[in-house]
Amino acid sequence: MESSQNLNFFELLYPLLVIVFIIAVGVVLLTQQFRKNIYLQKLKQEELKNVHQTEILRNSIEVQERERKRVALDLHDELGAALSITRMHLLQAEKLHGHLSATLLEDLKNITHLTEISLTSMRRISHELMPPQLETFGLVKTLESVAEQLRKTNKVWLEINVQPLMPELSWAINLAFYRIFMELINNTLKHSGASTISIDLKGNNKIINASYADNGAGMPGDVFGRGMGQKSIEGRVNSLGGSLLYGNSKQGGFYISLSIPFAN
Amino acid sequence: MAMSMSFLISVLSHLPIYITTIYSVIIYQKLQRELKIFSWLLVITGLIQFASLLLALRGINNLPLLHLYVPSGFILMALFYARVLNGFIDVRIIWITTLIFIIYTVINSLFFQGILTFNSNALTVESVLVIIFSISTYMLFLTDDIKESKKDILSSLNWINSGIFIYYLSNLLIYYFGNIITGPFSQQLNLYTWVFHSFFSVVMYFCFFVGLWNHPRT
Repeated sequence: MESSQNLNFFELLYPLLVIVFIIAVGVVLLTQQFRKNIYLQKLKQEELKNVHQTEILRNSIEVQERERKRVALDLHDELGAALSITRMHLLQAEKLHGHLSATLLEDLKNITHLTEISLTSMRRISHELMPPQLETFGLVKTLESVAEQLRKTNKVWLEINVQPLMPELSWAINLAFYRIFMELINNTLKHSGASTISIDLKGNNKIINASYADNGAGMPGDVFGRGMGQKSIEGRVNSLGGSLLYGNSKQGGFYISLSIPFAN
Repeated sequence: MAMSMSFLISVLSHLPIYITTIYSVIIYQKLQRELKIFSWLLVITGLIQFASLLLALRGINNLPLLHLYVPSGFILMALFYARVLNGFIDVRIIWITTLIFIIYTVINSLFFQGILTFNSNALTVESVLVIIFSISTYMLFLTDDIKESKKDILSSLNWINSGIFIYYLSNLLIYYFGNIITGPFSQQLNLYTWVFHSFFSVVMYFCFFVGLWNHPRT
């Protein structure tokens, strides 16, 4: 009798257990799906946030470059023209009135000299703000011109290796590489005491790889990732959706390699 | 006496259904998409319940209406949960489940529990599925992202989901044990079981009403 009651009890209980089990499995499976989807949504949001930040960075760099170009042109065309005319008038004054007084002639020559210095400084600043040859002749020619100037100092030898049949780069990439290399050359000249610098450029229609290396003292450990220059380089590379790797090489000296998608 | 009392309670338990349904129709234009879908469910339920009450008062077997209500109610319930859970689960899961359930209820009504008998099998399965949706929705509502993204409507959805959970859980136990307990016992016990059912129905509609009352008013 008792076993019969037990049997009835289990007959009653087992299907209920099965139902509870089905509910539990269903809830667990759906909850797992929620968690997965919520995680994916968060990932997507982060991705969008990153894209947005890159867009802001790119815009700010573009605005900065546009403003640099405008200032460079204004300097060159307006101040440069005014200084040139001033110099011309001074030379004319020297010719016309120089014979009247030796002191006047001396003063005119001094002013002419100062005007010429101002004109040279203005040109240099204007070119540094936006090198005209970059737009006209492109990155490689501009770098070669920089190399030529460095060679003249007899202190640093800049070697540029460019892959034959290099695809034509967009203005944004050209400008980014130019600014980055100039920042790096500046750092090398200021801090490393290197005698050679090498720049390699290669790429295809998908990605452009560039590397920069010097044989100087390398970067001190406490400076890694902290300098304004490095942040600027990282900002430029990130704004173009690229990546970079830098450090000190085993032989000594600093190296950096950059990869930027060609689509930019 | 007990029987007439039980019958009276069963009849009175219809009142919250009509009140909530009419209220949902009145505020329909102001409701969000989720609550609009839910009000469709209330309207269908209200109409079928009203028809079943009329048939019961005239002494006509109203069980065929239950065979109609179970699949149609489940479709609207699935629509509601698909809308609430959209973006967090693959809603095809809900639609496939609904399709299988509809096929099951039709087969059950045709071959196992005819339209003139109580379709406890379909109701049990419906309760299991709705409870799964309901608990999963609770779990989802516990996450911070949902609290943020659905914060204006969360209170309403929580009340509605709670009502559904309480009702279908009690239903599951009534349908499951109902067949076993009430079978060998008296008709009076059977009636008491339906009084319990009516009580949980009132609780559910109270939750629905509060949920609709709390709808975002902006």
